[in-house]
Amino acid sequence: MKFEKKRAATKQEIPTASMPDIVFMLLLFFMVTTTLREVDVLVSFKLPEAKAVEKIENKRLISYLWVGRDQRIQINDNLVSLEEVQNIMYTKRQALPNVIVSLRIDMGTDMGFVSDIQQELRKAYCLRINYSTMVKS
Amino acid sequence: MAVIQKKKIKSAEIPTSSMADIAFLLLLFFLVATVIDVDTGIGLSLPEFVEDVETVEVSKDRMAAVLINENGDVLLDGNIIAIPQISKSLKPRIESKIELPANKKLIVSVKTDRKTNYNRYIQALDQIKLAYFEVRDEYSLTRFGRKYINLNSEEQEELKEKIPITISIAEPEKVK
Repeated sequence: MKFEKKRAATKQEIPTASMPDIVFMLLLFFMVTTTLREVDVLVSFKLPEAKAVEKIENKRLISYLWVGRDQRIQINDNLVSLEEVQNIMYTKRQALPNVIVSLRIDMGTDMGFVSDIQQELRKAYCLRINYSTMVKS
Repeated sequence: MAVIQKKKIKSAEIPTSSMADIAFLLLLFFLVATVIDVDTGIGLSLPEFVEDVETVEVSKDRMAAVLINENGDVLLDGNIIAIPQISKSLKPRIESKIELPANKKLIVSVKTDRKTNYNRYIQALDQIKLAYFEVRDEYSLTRFGRKYINLNSEEQEELKEKIPITISIAEPEKVK
């Protein structure tokens, strides 16, 4: 007796002609949503964790201020001293009146230093701040 | 007479079979390079800077004073308290003032030492915020049957007026 493999008569191919289109669509989505990092962070920091966090909806309004483990302050692309903070932030505020300053401060920093920065921000009229934290799970 | 013939164009085709591969490569690059970092944090509004500070007397039962010393010990209205307990003991005090007018609502004052660790401060602030958020959630559940996030913006505004978050950050004391 002869055995024969059963084969379906229909074609068994997945049409791949539209594959590039699909992939390009995905690609476009990622290209549009990607925000490549604009600044190099020069200080090393570890953010504290918190539960009651809010998201900042309007990313355009955010201006970052980093404070590293070694108490160096970074705004934009360069390290600045405490005395310069006021001037820089004031010009930022003039360009963007309702700027939110996101403070990315290392968790080991002393509060004295943090409040010195806050004083400078108050003098520069940057009153909306946000202590950047990780989300505690 | 010579017959003018149209030149036959040889079929010119670009091989497209590898297009998918190329697109995938690009896709992978963007997948890897994407940083979808959401900015999460604890929002706060600083008071305006004024040269000479006026002091306004605030009645004792409106105030909840949180003091954090340099060792990370926390005092809430003079009693030692562990940080995770803060929200629990603040909640009833916030709740009791929901129906009061705006100038009678609770003010939470946070004061630290200059040597206090930033992380401790954030933990305490987090607890205070948590207390407010939980009160807001519970209140909106009893009133609207939904959580605070699911309310529409009008109802949210109303709730914000009922339960405003007033946190006052006092300047750290100078080390003598």
